[in-house]
Amino acid sequence: MNTDSIKLCINGRDYVLKVGRDFEITETLSTVLRERLGFTGVRVSCNQGACGACTILLNGKSALSCMMLAVEADGCDITTIEGMPADDPIIEAFAKETDPGYGTAMQCGFCTPGFVLETKSLLAENPHPTEAEIRDGLSGHVCRCGAYQGIEHAVKKVSAAVKEVK
Amino acid sequence: MKYQYVPRVKRKYVGSYEPKIDAKEKAMGRTKFFDDQTIKAKNPRMLYCSIMSAPYANGKILSMDTAKAEALEGVRAIIRFDDPEIMAMPPTTNSWTDTAITPYHRETVPKWFDRKVLDNTSRFVGDLMGVAVAADTREIADEAIRLIDIQWEVAPAFLEVEDAEKLGAKVLHPEANPTGNQLPHRNDLDGGVSVDNIVVDKGDVEKGFAEADAVVEVDETFGGNSTQGTLDYRGCMIEWVDDKIEVWTNHYYSDQVRMHLHDMLGLPLAKIRVHNTNCGAHMGKWNMGEQNFFLLSAMLSKRTGCPVKYKMNVHEEFAETRTQIRFKIKAGGKKDGTITALDFDGIGNQGAYNGVTGYALTGFMNAEGIPRLFYPVENVRMRSRNFFTNRIPGGVFRSVGNVQQNFPLGQAVDQLAEQLGIDPIDIYKKSFGNSYDPQPNASIASVLDTASEEFGWKNRHATDAGPLIDGYKKRGMGMTLHNQWHAEWQENERGRIETTIRVNPDLSVILNAPTKETGAGGNSAAVMACADNLSFLGTTPDDIKWVSDGDTEMGLRDCPPTDSVVSFILSECIVGAALDVKRQFIERAAEMMNMKAELLDIADGKVYKKTEPWIYIDASNVMMEDDCVPITGRNVRNNNKTVTGIAYGAWFAEVEVDTETGKVTVLDLVIANDVGQVMHASGAEAQQIGGVCIGMGETLTEELFYDKRTGTPLNVNYIDYKMLTMADVPEISPILLETWKGASEYGACGLAESTPTGASTAIANAVYNAIGIRVPNAPFSPKKILEGLAEKEMKEAQK
Repeated sequence: MNTDSIKLCINGRDYVLKVGRDFEITETLSTVLRERLGFTGVRVSCNQGACGACTILLNGKSALSCMMLAVEADGCDITTIEGMPADDPIIEAFAKETDPGYGTAMQCGFCTPGFVLETKSLLAENPHPTEAEIRDGLSGHVCRCGAYQGIEHAVKKVSAAVKEVK
Repeated sequence: MKYQYVPRVKRKYVGSYEPKIDAKEKAMGRTKFFDDQTIKAKNPRMLYCSIMSAPYANGKILSMDTAKAEALEGVRAIIRFDDPEIMAMPPTTNSWTDTAITPYHRETVPKWFDRKVLDNTSRFVGDLMGVAVAADTREIADEAIRLIDIQWEVAPAFLEVEDAEKLGAKVLHPEANPTGNQLPHRNDLDGGVSVDNIVVDKGDVEKGFAEADAVVEVDETFGGNSTQGTLDYRGCMIEWVDDKIEVWTNHYYSDQVRMHLHDMLGLPLAKIRVHNTNCGAHMGKWNMGEQNFFLLSAMLSKRTGCPVKYKMNVHEEFAETRTQIRFKIKAGGKKDGTITALDFDGIGNQGAYNGVTGYALTGFMNAEGIPRLFYPVENVRMRSRNFFTNRIPGGVFRSVGNVQQNFPLGQAVDQLAEQLGIDPIDIYKKSFGNSYDPQPNASIASVLDTASEEFGWKNRHATDAGPLIDGYKKRGMGMTLHNQWHAEWQENERGRIETTIRVNPDLSVILNAPTKETGAGGNSAAVMACADNLSFLGTTPDDIKWVSDGDTEMGLRDCPPTDSVVSFILSECIVGAALDVKRQFIERAAEMMNMKAELLDIADGKVYKKTEPWIYIDASNVMMEDDCVPITGRNVRNNNKTVTGIAYGAWFAEVEVDTETGKVTVLDLVIANDVGQVMHASGAEAQQIGGVCIGMGETLTEELFYDKRTGTPLNVNYIDYKMLTMADVPEISPILLETWKGASEYGACGLAESTPTGASTAIANAVYNAIGIRVPNAPFSPKKILEGLAEKEMKEAQK
């Protein structure tokens, strides 16, 4: 590991960050992403790995950015919510969930980026999860508004749409 | 196919199943919350504030030495409790915001001035007091506070009412009661000085019990164990420049922040600019404990010349709970469903400070219970007393007061129905209702009938008479009923609402209908109402940009998203603003067409001559072919005070109890709410679903633990405090009804606030139906279920 600087590939763009100038070695990945680089879609709430709001994709897999130091991500590919295209089927499904009886897939929207990226990670590994697998896969996230029913329904619909393409 | 509500009046957008207006930007993570607007990268000169969190429940600072903290590199300013500017500040009240802009000298909610901006005395572990520091980072500020040498005088902590009552217990609020810890009765809440704490005495309770076919007693406690659990922590950034201050905050009420700073700092309102951003779900928070961080951040900014940011951490966010209330209820009834008498004995554990929740105990019986919930009951008595203790203060938590009332009352009705051998639904239809609407109440009948049918209530077995599943599990069903909150006429204190609709030359629209979007969705409802009311221009919700930034300098009066009223109160105001747009459109077209305005009308995007409709101009040309100056329609409207009665909600739950582990699982939950007019169907159903999730969490897993000796709360973090996740919730069936009708165009009432109310009671009754035990307080932890089962087994063995 280079001790003077780190290189992060964030949403397809390289960032070379120098310790002491661009960030401090004690800073978490979430702090660097938010406070230093302005990726504010990375939400920090509990800052102890309990709520899931700070979830990012690290080399394609979901990770809690508040639970690792930025230096630990040196050389990694990082996707934040800002890196997800507006027409991504998961984004669309969360945004458009209005089926009668399910409510919506978010209310205040604070936790939503974490849920979206967790879903991305889940479906990449398992494109057709069962209901139990969805609930298990997303159970590391707290939505205090309680939009779980809408979220689960949105995830099911994205998963079903993948099936139709096959 | 799930239940889908049928609108009373078919409208194009209001009441529809449509996405939230900001759903896409929220899903894309582009919504800016307070913390996102105040990141270091954007505000390099910003300092961070930390306020000392009291380590003792009953501590008093005897002396304080800040020399070491001052010497720490990166510390820029320190404010102590004995600072002359602090000492000169008057006390503040713990429940400072509600629905109305409230200056210091007036009351819109009952005020208790029981808090100092920076006290030398603590009243619970975690009380923000003593000293505040501004430093280059929050870590340095926290470290500075650790370096402060303090000599404390420490008195024993007490968490329970029995200990607060004891002779010799430290008197926590001598300004309220110099001789003990009981909160004094107030004239405006419960009639003032009372004999034996009897605050309600209607009819003849003893006569009522004598006439009853059955009399039951329950003793149930709710509250004190949960917190709002919001993910977006409270905070502000303040910059003091010369004689002006600018504030950025996620507080849901910019006007009230401005008024409070005006009162306390003596600055003119025009020189205080408050911006408020999107706010994460607050669940009632933002009513207590914030005043000092606003004032301290402002003072630290003045002294350092830098913007100062304060943001709570997770431990500090736990400084508010639901007031713990124990109700011993005696209820008598007849076989026809008549409740002949209700006798309440209410004991509140208010914690360290009094929010508006002293009101939850006593005022609710006078203001809510009797006139709105069980008005047909002729004989009602209530004894009430509320106490300060060293617990985390009881504050405002969604369904404030109503859950604490419904939890014991709904269980008493269930118990009474069992004793009488009748369905509890018969009791609700006969003995519940209000003083404004005819009895039997149509709203009560509609929510009960629709929900019981959807739920399959007829399949309920007798108490503890269900089959044993897999040899160790038992199932049961329970239900309850409660009144809805806040029809328009109940919003007297809220004050005038302002909205403007600015139509651009291309007919796109800027809607200024200020409210802080906390997930409540008042913005979506307002946009849909705006589109409906601009139908003469052919406007759709997509044409409308809602102004999302709150700003006391450039904006209009902020309408706080409390009591769920924001779902319709803005829309009622938009009706008039749209009429103003219409009038101005016709006037401008008349000028262009060289005709008198009275001769013209507008529909489907065309301004036409009424008598010769083939003479017209397109609305899109009215500005575009003239001076391109937008048309701004404006309305200022106070609420319609016509008394229109109130609506009701019902909750039905099925649970499965594991008799070996004591785990309670909710299998099915139906919630039905009569709301008069559904403003946004998808948003309303989301509120119903989310609200019962809060109720289920408080009933099943959310529990604050204290060290009894020191009064230290032990699990003030989101790992050890268990909020429900997707893995824990059952399928929830939301039912929306429009049986009752309020005043004005829409005639809606609040919904979201009330939705957690009955979830806990329905679950409690379902647990009783499953295994025949009543757990004395929430949450229903496995330990309490197993203890209850063991006790029941012992009693049965003794028979």
